[in-house]
Amino acid sequence: MKVKVISRSTDEFTRERSKDLQRVFRNYDPNLRTQEKAVEYVRALNAAKLDKIFAKPFMGAMDGHIDAISCMAKNPNHLKGIFSGSMDGDIRLWDIASRRTVCQFLGHQGAVRGLAASTDGRILISCGSDCTVRLWNVPEANVMDSDCLSNNSSEPLAVYVWKNAFWAVDHQWDGDLFATAGAQVDIWDRNRSQPVNSFEWGKDTVISVRFSPAEPNVLATSASDRSITLYDLRMSSPARKLIMKTKTNAISWNPMEPMNFTAANEDCNCYSYDTRKLVEAKCVHQDHVSAVMDIDYSPTGREFVTGSYDRTVRIFQYNGGHSREIYHTKRMQRVFCAKFTCDATYVISGSDDTNLRLWKARASEQLGVILPRERKKQEYMEAVKDRYKHLPEVKRVVRHRHLPKPIYKATALRRTMVDAERRKEERKRAHSAPGSMPTQPFRKKRIIKEIE
Amino acid sequence: MAEKKRKLKGEEHAARRKKIPKTLTLGKKKKRKNKDEGGRKKGPFLPSVLRKELDLINPNPRNSDDEIDSDEGERNDVYEYDEPIAEEESKKNRRFDPVDNLEYELADDFKDENLPSSDDEGYDGKGNDTGDFSDHSEDEVGEDDNGRHARMLQGIIGMPDEVFEGKKRKKASLSGTDPESEYNLKALDGDGRISIQDLLDPLHGKPGYSKLRKRMHELEKHSMSIHAPLPKPEREKLERKAAYEQSKKDITKWEPLVKRNREAPTIYFDEDTDLRYSTVGAIASEFEPRTEFEKKIASLVSDSKVMEAHKNDGARLLELNKISVEDVRDRQNRLAKMRSLLFRHEMKAKHIKKIKSKTYHRMLKKDRMKAASAEMQMDSEAAKEYALKQEFRRAEERMTLKHKNSSKWAKRILKRGLKTQDEGTRAAITEQLHQHSLLTRKMNSMKDTSSSDDSSDGDDEVSGSSEGEEASKILKKAKEKILKVVEEEDEIPKSGVLALPFMVRGLKKRKEAAYEEAQLALQEYDSSLRQLEDTDEVESPKLGTSSGRRVFGAGKKLNQEVSNGVKPDNIDRDNESEDDFEAKENVDLEQGDDVLLREEIRVDPGPLLEESGIGQEAVFKSFNDIIRDHGPKTTYEVAIIASDSRRKIRSENGGNKRRKSSFVEEASSPQDLKGAHQDSDTDSEEEMVDGILSSGAILDYELPSQADLIQHAFAGDDVEGEFEKDKLEILNEEVPEPEKPVLLPGWGQWTHVQQKKGLPSWIVKEHEDAKKKREEALKKRKDARLKHVIISEKNDKKAEKLLTKTLPFPFTSKEVFEQSIRMPIGPEYNPATSVGALNRPQVVKKAGVIIKPIKFEEVNPHDKLGEPSGSRHAPKTKKDKSNGGKSIKKMTKKKKS
Repeated sequence: MKVKVISRSTDEFTRERSKDLQRVFRNYDPNLRTQEKAVEYVRALNAAKLDKIFAKPFMGAMDGHIDAISCMAKNPNHLKGIFSGSMDGDIRLWDIASRRTVCQFLGHQGAVRGLAASTDGRILISCGSDCTVRLWNVPEANVMDSDCLSNNSSEPLAVYVWKNAFWAVDHQWDGDLFATAGAQVDIWDRNRSQPVNSFEWGKDTVISVRFSPAEPNVLATSASDRSITLYDLRMSSPARKLIMKTKTNAISWNPMEPMNFTAANEDCNCYSYDTRKLVEAKCVHQDHVSAVMDIDYSPTGREFVTGSYDRTVRIFQYNGGHSREIYHTKRMQRVFCAKFTCDATYVISGSDDTNLRLWKARASEQLGVILPRERKKQEYMEAVKDRYKHLPEVKRVVRHRHLPKPIYKATALRRTMVDAERRKEERKRAHSAPGSMPTQPFRKKRIIKEIE
Repeated sequence: MAEKKRKLKGEEHAARRKKIPKTLTLGKKKKRKNKDEGGRKKGPFLPSVLRKELDLINPNPRNSDDEIDSDEGERNDVYEYDEPIAEEESKKNRRFDPVDNLEYELADDFKDENLPSSDDEGYDGKGNDTGDFSDHSEDEVGEDDNGRHARMLQGIIGMPDEVFEGKKRKKASLSGTDPESEYNLKALDGDGRISIQDLLDPLHGKPGYSKLRKRMHELEKHSMSIHAPLPKPEREKLERKAAYEQSKKDITKWEPLVKRNREAPTIYFDEDTDLRYSTVGAIASEFEPRTEFEKKIASLVSDSKVMEAHKNDGARLLELNKISVEDVRDRQNRLAKMRSLLFRHEMKAKHIKKIKSKTYHRMLKKDRMKAASAEMQMDSEAAKEYALKQEFRRAEERMTLKHKNSSKWAKRILKRGLKTQDEGTRAAITEQLHQHSLLTRKMNSMKDTSSSDDSSDGDDEVSGSSEGEEASKILKKAKEKILKVVEEEDEIPKSGVLALPFMVRGLKKRKEAAYEEAQLALQEYDSSLRQLEDTDEVESPKLGTSSGRRVFGAGKKLNQEVSNGVKPDNIDRDNESEDDFEAKENVDLEQGDDVLLREEIRVDPGPLLEESGIGQEAVFKSFNDIIRDHGPKTTYEVAIIASDSRRKIRSENGGNKRRKSSFVEEASSPQDLKGAHQDSDTDSEEEMVDGILSSGAILDYELPSQADLIQHAFAGDDVEGEFEKDKLEILNEEVPEPEKPVLLPGWGQWTHVQQKKGLPSWIVKEHEDAKKKREEALKKRKDARLKHVIISEKNDKKAEKLLTKTLPFPFTSKEVFEQSIRMPIGPEYNPATSVGALNRPQVVKKAGVIIKPIKFEEVNPHDKLGEPSGSRHAPKTKKDKSNGGKSIKKMTKKKKS
């Protein structure tokens, strides 16, 4: 005779501490739970809806400038600090945590066009339309911590007057060099008053410059002749030029993928390129309805933020054709600069309305300390949502956004225009000799040529 | 001199021959290729032996192009019987500018020297080679010319061509554009320049000559031609190209790393957290005194004396610790005083607590209350607080019903019977009830006002004088209700258990009885009303004293007076109904009812009890219930449903019992039903038997075929017809027929236009269109041609939301996608060990941790993906094996990239 006995040892059911959770034994036999998939689907739907409910991305505005903000720079070594320069020549250092000005850097006579901080966060470099490059000492972190409200302004370490107005500046990662853009691209050493090198390829003004953070000797610029140019400082020579149909306003390198960079273009789109293959874009990111003014990659390299002339800030996946998120407020005007913070948690935008705005990178993210159980739950919800994101209902909830009316209308108009253009081309093709009008992918369409 | 030179040449050849074995194979290979390229131009095919010989003569020094060129020149020496070259190529007619170094050639040269091509290396080498040889073949033309010129010179002067070679080369390189022809023989006699060879010749035979000659030779061998500088844009272009190729190559080294990160299911960015201070000591060392107190302490702690004492040893510290005797004494005194005070206070409290006198406590309480009220009057804050507290207590009472005989003590007393208790206990219970009523009073008053009942003034604020009015009002109301109920009773259920004939009969009987009772009750009401009007003055004081809950006692007394036989029962009921009561008004009402009831019982207890007296009582009670608004309908129904009068009583007596009775009722009725069913069953069985018997008879009669059998078997049912009907129905359902156009009512009717003309043409047309559309849709169906098949094309809307319209992007096939969402990932369906891996997000980062850009590290591409890397900064990856879905996703991603 077979006798089955339920045996349970007390050890398995006693808690070590009173805070411990009671152990639960489960039978994971799938035959016992036939509804698991349905349950998870509903959970995904609920998670998507809850995400929408908790989506409160706007953290606060930083007010203080008296003119439009033209540029920003984050402090690579200090999370709380962000620099902003405005059209009236004012440069401010903000404490993001308290959202107050910590320090003002006064000296520029005209608009500040470019800001960059060294990797150690000690030195700030600014340039502007007054033909000067200024180096500033950044106050120590503990000065920022002590909340003295006195606007302690500091004097520049050095002022270099040059021949032409500057449009942009960027500092090399882990090095002494920085590059300015203007009539030509100048490479400066922090310790010298003259540029150590200058490149001129074409006579048009260079409007933006950006060093690759992973490859410190590679930099990319964009110029008003609609070109994007790559430079290699090891060879001290420009490398390649790409001419597009419209101007590129800003460039950002992917910090985790040194070969890739994304260009914010005037034609409302962003184009991701591989430096080794410039004949076609790797990905076209479209959603903006007006020129994209600035772009910045998240330090994780998985997404980037763009600020646009259409008064919105958008966040894109690095390989996503459309934006993941759109941020807008009633009072936010043209966005001229946008940055991700160094921990990839926040996004900061500077706009025409003299304000810096602080946003969460994930609109419904819970801030503050999250206990492990809660975090697990959130992770599960995210995972479930991600799993069922292709199903129509979940997709609808996840994708739905309330847009300001002008943007909604502009999007519709743009769609009509694009459709019309496409139709026209199709007809042209249909009525021309076969093969005389080869179809060109959108990734190549906006590129005119690559110059050696 | 010429002889000498020839000899010299011979020596050179010999020297070269010595070198041959090393370069033989290479030269051969090159030669063969060369031949392939330029086979066309050179004359007849050479036998391999001869070719070898040639190789021996011209081993290729591969240092530079010029050397090769010279070789070619020499080769031409051997090939004297060369085919004539085309006119243009030989440049004899000077139709083309003889340019030695073409720009594009140079460019190619440049590339060959410095740059690897963009393609992979295997191809690279090949490409370069071919490039080289094409160059040479083009150069040959020029060289050919040169060779002929040299031969001519040799013929004239009798010197070997080596003499001129260096010069020529130099000239060619220095003045690239200088035309060179038979008429331009600057080399020897033109400007009288002296070659090194000329200078060397006189030294021949002198010591050190061979050394010198060798060095010269070396120099000549390694001489590089200096090209003319290119125009600046060209040069820059080349530079840029080189730079781009270089940076391309450099950047490609990142590829495996990037690939690994992209393919990893999760990247971690929270590894290198720098938690500034790790120890308490480290934190303490940073401490700086800020406030005054801190500064004081700091000054004491960092006192030089103390510090010194610390440094030396503890003994000095002890000395420093000394306190004066007076200080100590003072402190002790103070402590003792405090302690004694505390003790006294404690004792006093204990003493007060021990006092058992109720009056004392009452006094105390009163005092406290007084103080509180005084305080309340003094300031509004306290008043508010008090009101809040009171409100809370009220709410608590409403929630817990603490004072409503729900305590163990109260229950016990009630169980024993209240009348057996002594006066004190009874008083206590009344007190408690009073408390309850006080606490719930506000609620009642609110309820009354909200219901806007005219009996709202029936609270205990109303004194005895209005009691009579009150009672009369209630009586009137009761009367109305009874009338209403009597009127309502008429409906008889048409189905269910109640529809059964015996039930109907019983119901009717009971209804009649009830009607009689109602009439009686109405009469009673009238009489009592009259009585009330008469005895208002007499009754009122008595009732007035017993306002509110105190009625309870009075009622009991009344009970005692009124009835003896039914007493215990009544009291029991009383108590329970009291329990149910919530509002004061109800209590009053109840009392009135009681009065009525008892009178009723007194009037004719005999017959009622015997027949359906208790049933009558029950009816009364049901009236009571109706008046009380305790879900009147249900109680009434229950009363009607119950067939047995005893059960009815029970049902009336308590909620639980009531439920039980209905239970029993339900239990009994199915039995009846079952009986009926059994009856029907037996009937049908009999029929079946009949059928079998009849079929048996047919079998005996004849042997039919299978088809006949089937036909017989399904004689009655027209399967095909049914199917067709079904199909038509389904078709109609899925593709609904368009509605027939109808005359619009009121549209053009008064003029009879519509009737005359018929429907407007557009309506007719639309209808036709719709019909056509439907027909087309029917034709398009998959089962249009299939007669015996219905293929449903209805799409289930509920299922639709669980399906995707198209295959989602990263997935390549339906199966993969379905596989990816097959297994659940929740913690309920997976063991705790794997849940974490299943649910891990793609990017793990921590807020507040600065993420540095990627740092280069070597990645073995053949290595398993996700081996934790050594570097600190690079994001680490981890592979989860247990996750089927994610691995598939990864696969698809791989395909994508």
